[in-house]
Amino acid sequence: MSDFRLVSKPALSDRTPIVGKHISLEALPEGHVILVMGKPGAPAAETQPVSLSDGQPNAVRTAGPGQWLVVGDQPRTQKEIEALFTELGADIYGVDQSAGRVRILVHGTMVERVLGKGTSVDLAATSFPVGSATVTLIGHIATHMTRTDVFAFELMVLRGFAESLWDDLLEMCKEFA
Amino acid sequence: MTSYRLQTGGLIDRQTPVSFTFDGKRMLGFEGDSLASALLANGRQLIGRSFKYHRPRGILTAGSAEPNALMTIGRGGRTEANTRATMQELYQGLEAKSQSRWPSLEFDIGALNTLLSPFLGAGFYYKTFMWPAPLWEKLYEPFIRKAAGLGKATYEADPDTYEKCWAHCDLLIIGSGPTGIAAALTSGRSGARVILVDEHSASGGSLLSETASIGDVSASVFVQQAMDELHSLSNVQILTRTTAFGWYDGNVFGAVERVQKQVALPNVALPVERLWRIVAKKALLASGAEERPLVFGGNDIPGVMMATAMRTYLNRYGVAPGKDVAIFTTNNSGYALANDLEARGIVPVAIIDSRPDGNSAYAGKARVINGAFVSDAHGGKALSSVSIFKSGIAETIKVDALAMSGGFSPVIHLACHRGGKPIWSDEQSAFLAPNGLKGMELAGAVATTVGIAACLEDGANRAAALIEGLGFKTSPASFGTVERDIVSPAAKPVWNIPGIKGKAFVDYQNDVHREDLGIAVQEGYGHVELAKRYTTNGMATDQGKLSNVNAIGLLAQARGVSPAEVGTTTFRPFYTPVSFGALTGAYHGEHFQPVRKSPLHGWAKKNGAIFVETGLWYRSSWFTRDGETTWRESVDREVRNVRVNAGLCDVSMLGKIEICGKDAAEFLNRVYSNAFLKLPVGKARYGLMLREDGMIYDDGTTSRLSEQRFFMTTTTAYAAGVMNHLEFCAQALWPDLDVHIASSTDQWAQMAVAGPKARLILQTVVDEDISNEAFPFLGAKEVSLFGGQLHGRLLRISFSGELAFELAVPASYGESVADALMEAGRNHGIQPYGVEALSVLRIEKGHVTHNEINGTVVPADLGFGKMVSSTKGDFIGKAMVAREGLTSSERPQLVGVIPLDPNTSFRSGSHILEKNAAARLENDQGYVTSSAFSPHLRSTIGLALVKRGSERHDEEVMIWNGIRNEFTPGRLCNPVFVDPENEKLHV
Amino acid sequence: MASLVPCPHCGARPKEEFTIKGAALARPTPDAGTEAWMDYVYLRDNPRGLYEEYWHHTSGCRRWLVVTRDTATHDIEHSRDVALSQLTDIRP
Repeated sequence: MSDFRLVSKPALSDRTPIVGKHISLEALPEGHVILVMGKPGAPAAETQPVSLSDGQPNAVRTAGPGQWLVVGDQPRTQKEIEALFTELGADIYGVDQSAGRVRILVHGTMVERVLGKGTSVDLAATSFPVGSATVTLIGHIATHMTRTDVFAFELMVLRGFAESLWDDLLEMCKEFA
Repeated sequence: MTSYRLQTGGLIDRQTPVSFTFDGKRMLGFEGDSLASALLANGRQLIGRSFKYHRPRGILTAGSAEPNALMTIGRGGRTEANTRATMQELYQGLEAKSQSRWPSLEFDIGALNTLLSPFLGAGFYYKTFMWPAPLWEKLYEPFIRKAAGLGKATYEADPDTYEKCWAHCDLLIIGSGPTGIAAALTSGRSGARVILVDEHSASGGSLLSETASIGDVSASVFVQQAMDELHSLSNVQILTRTTAFGWYDGNVFGAVERVQKQVALPNVALPVERLWRIVAKKALLASGAEERPLVFGGNDIPGVMMATAMRTYLNRYGVAPGKDVAIFTTNNSGYALANDLEARGIVPVAIIDSRPDGNSAYAGKARVINGAFVSDAHGGKALSSVSIFKSGIAETIKVDALAMSGGFSPVIHLACHRGGKPIWSDEQSAFLAPNGLKGMELAGAVATTVGIAACLEDGANRAAALIEGLGFKTSPASFGTVERDIVSPAAKPVWNIPGIKGKAFVDYQNDVHREDLGIAVQEGYGHVELAKRYTTNGMATDQGKLSNVNAIGLLAQARGVSPAEVGTTTFRPFYTPVSFGALTGAYHGEHFQPVRKSPLHGWAKKNGAIFVETGLWYRSSWFTRDGETTWRESVDREVRNVRVNAGLCDVSMLGKIEICGKDAAEFLNRVYSNAFLKLPVGKARYGLMLREDGMIYDDGTTSRLSEQRFFMTTTTAYAAGVMNHLEFCAQALWPDLDVHIASSTDQWAQMAVAGPKARLILQTVVDEDISNEAFPFLGAKEVSLFGGQLHGRLLRISFSGELAFELAVPASYGESVADALMEAGRNHGIQPYGVEALSVLRIEKGHVTHNEINGTVVPADLGFGKMVSSTKGDFIGKAMVAREGLTSSERPQLVGVIPLDPNTSFRSGSHILEKNAAARLENDQGYVTSSAFSPHLRSTIGLALVKRGSERHDEEVMIWNGIRNEFTPGRLCNPVFVDPENEKLHV
Repeated sequence: MASLVPCPHCGARPKEEFTIKGAALARPTPDAGTEAWMDYVYLRDNPRGLYEEYWHHTSGCRRWLVVTRDTATHDIEHSRDVALSQLTDIRP
């Protein structure tokens, strides 16, 4: 069936973005998300993921001790991913999560207030500056959260939870949207 | 009923009248009024009936400790019972109703309870329980049910929204009176992150009721200026209408903000209440002090009020309490009121001061009677006179309002929420906060500081010290001179007032009077915790804010000990009641819990799936077709079709875990009871995981994709638990192993394609050869699909017992690939099947699930004895699985069961009895773990765990459902009903 | 309402982000004998005071921690990553 037209369906394809003066919510392209796992504290594991990234700001995010997520808007082919894994070397392993994790961008001046309804993390720029990343519960859903700009956070969530998180975020944004 | 609005004064907006109703009667107040002040301004003093005796009650306080003025506010789904009129801001169109009265507030039949009062005293409930049982159902219970409870909840759904949120700060200041404001200015100016909360609608606390001046401006102007500055500081967050209700571990404070409780129709974009969890590096408790009532006869008659409350109504709301006002006080608080009343032209008719020397500084016009007590107040629905007791001589004075002040209790509740016990101070006549609090300090009146000037100074100094401790530079804010600052130092408390004739109430809300406490002591319930339960003192919505200390004082006197020895009951959150709505936040209805959706959800939906919730997942139960009227018809068709043609089932929700590392094989060898070390690349193996106690934990298939990479599947239910368990093993048990674990459940859309035609269909999308020779049973490999368009993983495993494959593709392509397989399989009769058919297929094949893996079975019980390696040095469960009891020949074992007559049936959970044994549990041989109608055998079939089951095939038994009293003669058999030789798997 | 548990990797987080396994006991060797295994699997101390427990930061960094908690006050004395003890011992 090599003539069958395969279609990739984004997890949030039937959700409409919010664009507001103080808060905006949008689903990001389902490009690539690669989990890189090394030995916690080993120096190679600290530097390797960077070489795999597309070089965009915040392309490499910490995801717990010895783990990183390499993230970008462009999908990678199976060949490219396999080549990356080979490049990682003997002690570091990669797992393709491009389809398993969905990215949502929340931005606007009220973003800290909005996310403060979900997470206990202190989001003040002094304690969670641009580039910081962590996993936390947003409401009832475990979410990988990265501050990509002063007023912008990227939330990465397991695909199966994406619609639920989106719907929760809509509620949280309501007063500012 | 002679309270009235003064022509001038108060912090109300006389240009903006506000219309409201009380018990249906229309009244007018002003913007800035509380419901209580508006009612008083309308001459309304009788506002409710008491809980037990249905006595007429009036407004007692001007704050959150109010025990009497509980009202039902709003209508429809917004009806809210037990709202304190003293805390409720007046709004246009507010509807308030009084409670605990029938048929009306003015004429209440329940008031006859007063005549029954000898029977309704302390221990009433306990004593009633002892009475003859027949009376209980007919008489007491209906009586108590009608009388019990405060207010009525609505049955209608709440139309409003609520939310929860977190906040963080360097310093949390609780209370915005003089202490809190001074602390906020001091810390706010330093740049520290400060949150200032106050339960009232406006900041200022007691300053809003003051006639003092601070630095040449009135107290209220001072507040305005201070708040303007604080609002201008971006590092200061001011939360009014926000009650800090609890202090929790980790220095987290719970607070509830009433965002829109002051409007009739809330803005739908905003919550009506917001629950804050405030993480504070340090907290300053500036909650002030609560004035204590005095316990004299008739102290509950409408018109009797706390002195500070009367002062608030006078100064803040411009409401005079009456024309003939008396003041009964044990301290100087009463004199501050006397001065303010006189300034508004109402000279008190008498100040009755319990102190023999009174207040020598008083220069007002009122008659002062020192060393005297009010022994009784008189009146019915309104106060008419008071009896004064002095050296045995009684005098009665006509009054229409009486203010009382029995001293002050610091509001230490929050300081005691983390287990610290309050400490009695004889000097202060009050319970003080525990010592050595971590993360919290107290300042101002709650720390026994008295007077505005001293509180300003204390707040500034303590805040400065706290903030400096956090590394900020600051100096305490300073303020101008305070004029007319009436300082009320602690005075000797008066617990027992002489000469009382009427009922003297200690706890207004629970109708506990002085004698009840005496009875409690007499009957052996004098311990403070017992007295509370016996008398109900300190219970219900106000939790004894006004009554506890008086009760303790009376208990102490009755027992002849000091209040220190009596001690207090435990202070627990919440300080004031918190609505269920606020505690629930947004997490109800659709948001109650997250929904996990399979990447094939859309495919299943368009193919007619009926969904079922399994955990958080929505799984396809079955797929209804035209003409099918029962679920069984659909399921039977799906099962038959898998056995004859082919079916496609969504198994994406199975847990999927990627395990990598040099020691990944060794790791698996230790977490599974069977061997995995030598699993070849390209092969899948069924594995059993045990718990350390030897019981089976979970089962699943693990495939080796390369030397150092494995792909594990788990059951849906245990996916999260297995992941946690593997991480525990890798991190806590064997951190020396080089192993890395990642959940990839959501990465893959996984489809089981099962049935004799499965290969034909799959081969059309899989680029590689999947013939039996090239890809035999238990093959596992990464495959190219659709001519290289896509990459996936293919496993040749079977849950149904048919020739079957599981194909995993990246989740975003799942629906498209499922569509393609349906298209490719159309001529081969492919049909989707759901978890019901899946379950029938597996029971027919004798495959187990968590119905059988019930936490009490070991591998041998299920016929998996050979899957417990005897050669491995270690694996989870190894040590315990060999225990005597787990190897006994008497253990239940997996067996099949069928009815003798295929036209009869039985249910899961039924017990197995020997053929002629009596239906008693002692004859129990085991039970049916799973059952289904098998279209293949045209009979109900079941799996069961039966004592020595594997030896008892062909034995006739009785299948007994004791709950439904059903008996089905049956026969035990081989649990594999279909293809016991496994020929179909290898074609 | 809230309890914050200090995670050496993520900072203080509410208890809802964690899964508690129970006493942090050392696993006996496979041949340690029935008594040692019965102790490990079934018997628990119930002290008033400090108690070492395994906590998993399930909705966070997914690391297993050893949290030393006072059973009477809930105060947490310290917490460390079970596999990275030397790197991560923290006191809140």
